[in-house]
Parts: sequence; C-alpha cells; structure tokens
Amino acid sequence: MDFIWGLVQILGVHTIIGLSAYVILLTGQVSMAQAGFCAIGAYIAGMLTVLAEWHIIPGMLVGGLAAGALACVVGFPALRVKGLMFTVATLAFGEFVRLFWFNFDYQISRGGFEIGPLGGEGFRQIRFFPENGWSTLEVAIFVWVWVILIMAILWWMDRSRIGAVLRAVGEDELAAQSVGINLTAVKVTAFTIGGFIAGLGGGIYAHYTTHVEHLNFGVLLATFAIAYPILGGLRTVVGTLLAVLFIQGVLVEGLRFLGDLRNILFGAFIVLAMNLRPAGFIDARVTRALGRLFRAERGGA
Amino acid sequence: MIVDFVQNTLDGIFVGSSYSLLAIGFTLIFGVMRRLNLSYGPSIMLGTFAGTLLFVEFEAGLLAVAAATLAGAVLAGVYVERVCFWAIRRGAALASMVSSFAIWMQLEEIVTVVFPDRTYPFPPLADFALEPGPFFVRGDHLVMFACAAAITVLLHLLLYRTRFGLALRAVSRNPAAAAFVGINTGLVLFSAFALASAIGGVAGYLIAAADQQITPFFGLWATFKGLIAMTLGGMGSIPGAIAGGLLLGIIEAHSGWYLGTEYRDLSAYAVLFAFLVFRPGGLFAQRQTLRSQLAARRV
Repeated sequence: MDFIWGLVQILGVHTIIGLSAYVILLTGQVSMAQAGFCAIGAYIAGMLTVLAEWHIIPGMLVGGLAAGALACVVGFPALRVKGLMFTVATLAFGEFVRLFWFNFDYQISRGGFEIGPLGGEGFRQIRFFPENGWSTLEVAIFVWVWVILIMAILWWMDRSRIGAVLRAVGEDELAAQSVGINLTAVKVTAFTIGGFIAGLGGGIYAHYTTHVEHLNFGVLLATFAIAYPILGGLRTVVGTLLAVLFIQGVLVEGLRFLGDLRNILFGAFIVLAMNLRPAGFIDARVTRALGRLFRAERGGA
Repeated sequence: MIVDFVQNTLDGIFVGSSYSLLAIGFTLIFGVMRRLNLSYGPSIMLGTFAGTLLFVEFEAGLLAVAAATLAGAVLAGVYVERVCFWAIRRGAALASMVSSFAIWMQLEEIVTVVFPDRTYPFPPLADFALEPGPFFVRGDHLVMFACAAAITVLLHLLLYRTRFGLALRAVSRNPAAAAFVGINTGLVLFSAFALASAIGGVAGYLIAAADQQITPFFGLWATFKGLIAMTLGGMGSIPGAIAGGLLLGIIEAHSGWYLGTEYRDLSAYAVLFAFLVFRPGGLFAQRQTLRSQLAARRV
C-alpha cells in the first residue's frame, strides 16, 4: 500500500510542477527554468523546517515566495526576449540555479550531527514527515490538497478576466498590445506565478523524498515540466493532470516491468502522442465537443 | 601572468573550435527549420559510441572509428528528423521540441543498454604537443582547430557556391517562396539535417578523441554547448556560431583558471544570460541587420 501512496505523492508533485509551466505557457513562452525554481523552493523550505525547525506549511510558503520573487526579478530582463531566445535564457538560468546549489554549503551541528545542505552531496535529513509521525497516506492527502487548491485557483483564473488576458498575449502579442494590454506586466506576472507554484512543488518534493541534491533539478525535470502541459493541451488545467497520469502513471510506472526497454518505448509513445495530437490531449475540438455536450444536457433538462 | 592569460586564451580558442562546430550544426537546423532539436547532442553521442564499439570490439583503426562515428551520428540525426520534424506538421514547434526530448531519452537508453559501463575508452587522435616559447599546445587540439577551420571553409563554399546551398538559403529565408520556385523543400530540410548531423559527428569525434573517453552524458553536454554557442553568436548565423563557440571556449578557460573549475559552467551560463538580455541578437546581430537593410535598399 505504501508503494501506491508513494506513487500518488509523485503524481501530485509532478502535477504541481506541470501547472507551474502551464501558467507561463498560456502567455506563449516556454520556460525551462521551472526546475530551477523548484530547487529554490526545495532547498529553502528544507532549510526552514530542518535548520530553523519551522512547520512545513510556512516553510513551503516562504520557499514558494522566494522562488516567485526571484522569478519576478529575473522575469523583467528575461522577458525582453521571446520565443526560442527566452527558452535558452531560462535554460541558462535554471542551470545557473542548479550549479549554485551544487556549490552551496551551509551546515550546522545538532546533536553531534552536521546537518544542512552540503554542495554536491546534497541536502539530507529533511525529515519533517517521519519526525512528526505522518503516514504515507497522510502525506499523499497533504500533497493532493495542494494540487487541488492550485488547480482550483488556476481554473478560476482561466475563466476570469486574468485568464483571457494571458491567453490574448499567448495567441497574438500584437493584437493584445493594440487593445491596451501591457505585455511586459502580463508576462512577468505569469512568470512570477509560475515560479511561486514551482517553488511550492519543490517544497513538497524535498519533504517527501527527505533528500535533495542538485541533480534532481536538472534539464530532465525542466523538460518534463513543460512536456506535461504541452502534451495535455493548453485549453484547461485538467490536460496537465491527464498528461502527468499518462507519463508518470502509465509510461513510467506502468511500463516498469519492461526494464531496459522502458525508456525506448517511452520515447516512442510520446512521439506518437505528439504526432496524433500536436495541440495536446485536450485541444480546442475536445473542449468544444465537451461544451456542446454540457449545453445539450442543460437544454434537455 | 601575461603568459597564463595568453595560454588560457589559446586553450579556449582550441576547445572553442569544437563548440563552434556543434553550434554550426545547431544553426543549420535552426536556420532552416526554426525549431529546436534537443536530440542533436544525443545523436552525436550515439555516433561516438558506434565508433567506440568498433574500437573496443574489433580494435579498428583511426579511420574506421571516425567513419563509424560519422555514420552513427548521421543515421541517428536522420531518424530524429523523420520522427520529430518531418512527421509533425509545420507550426507545431512545441510538439517537435517535446518529441525530440523523448527521442533523446530513447537514444540515451539504447546506449546504456548496449554499453552498461559508465565510461568507455576512445582512441586518441594525435599524441604530440608543441611548445612554442613558454606556451603549450596539444596536438589533438591543433587538429581540432584545423578541422573546424576546414569545415567552415567547405561549408561556406557549399552554401554560397552551389545550387544546393542556394536552395538551402532560399528555404531558410522563406519556405513558401522556395516551394513556389520549384525547390523540393522537404528534401532540402532533410539534407540540411543530415549535413548538420555530419558536422556534429566530426565535432563529436574530435572531442571524444581529445578526451580519450566517452560517457552517455556526452549527449546532454553537446546539446548545451552547441545551444549556448549558437545563442551567444546570434541564432541562424554561421559566422555568429563560429564566434560564439570561440567566445564560449575562451570564457570557460578564463573562468576555470581565475575562479576555479566549479565556476566554469556557472560563469558560462551567467554570460549567456547577460548576452540574451542585453544583446538579444548575439554577437553578430547589428551587422547582420545592417547588411540585410543595405541589401534590401539595393533591391
């Protein structure tokens, strides 16, 4: 049973990281920095609960805020460029953050042990959950409360004026600008929100694995983060969740019995999915069909 | 003091010439496709492993290893082109990027299944060194630089003196117009991809021969170096790619020497970020636009 709940936790954290990239993708920008923001959230939340002995919730929030603040600061210069340039710039920034933690040491002595992040060794002993007696089920529920909260907020945002503005920028910058939308403000806001959500995700990640190191936050995680919303489709937040279930649940866990062949098939399945649905699982056609379905039901009742 | 500085710059230029080759391959693909190929480095990595397979299993000679490396890289590159770029319709640039990432994982897995160890030996190319005055120059670095220069010249001739080069430049400038005048754009894209992979294969061979060992991580490394060098020089410009590669090599050599090896990559990323923000067009941005403005006026 613990294995199942462990998987449920992984799915939850990956959904949060995918959603962080989703917000930025809405404005038409591909950010490869999400793994970097995740690392910031993970290390800061971990240091707060381990070294300062905070509760996990304020620790996570501070970690998320730090990542969001950095995203805001970096966003102003980075968003001067767009398209592939922005992707490369965020890739450079993400790797910069990873290498920063690779060179970062801050250890204190407690009870005869040295604890805290130690460069390439990583940050061990992030033991908030076991020390406070949380079971894996409770941790899984905790993770999914966050997932549902974030999804609900993004869902609401999508349907409000904010979502319309974000999508307008993503669809056609010139048109958006000509109706008086401040492009820089919108993009930096989206980037900040994305950084904040990635930071939250990193905070949870650090606590359920109990050990983080810089290698966890490499280009692999960054690419996964943008692959989820792209594969799921940018029409709704549910697409990202579906893509996480598909990639992490079906392709990674479901194909584990194949052993070495897994990654080879993994690649083939993703290429196949992108060939069949270049705009994602839930594209405009699906949302329209769903919309008709619901309207028809309402009309019939 | 000054000797160290010059020596570092020399080292940077020699190592940077291999980055230039990687960046040229990237630029060719990006210039004609306008899409990002994350699998570029991994397909080169597959080529170097094909070369090492011949070396380890059959003790093949230098030429055979080089040929196998090149063939492996081109085959893998063509596979990537068919699956990630040809099969996915134009306009879905994000889908291509995600697909190329998936193929990257595939190529890496194939290599780790066939080669379970972490590192494998690669035959050295030239085991001599020159010592002009107080300086020290490795022979394989000299060969690397010479190859990079030769390929640059050949590529220039190909692009500006042949019909294929003209077609490639036409497709890169405006695919629709190129198709209207009867250019087989699909074939040109395919050939550009194969050409880029071949150049990448040469770069991969030279780098692996200088390091005398290879790991599956080489794919990620090559993608990063090529991407950074291409961006430093300005995307889609061949002279820019060369300058960007040399600049990246020099930055790495100096920061590794003065700040310590752990800051080598860190400073490369910092410079790249600064470049993108303050000079988004790269090194050659201004001149390119000026020249095309002049050309437009002449027309």
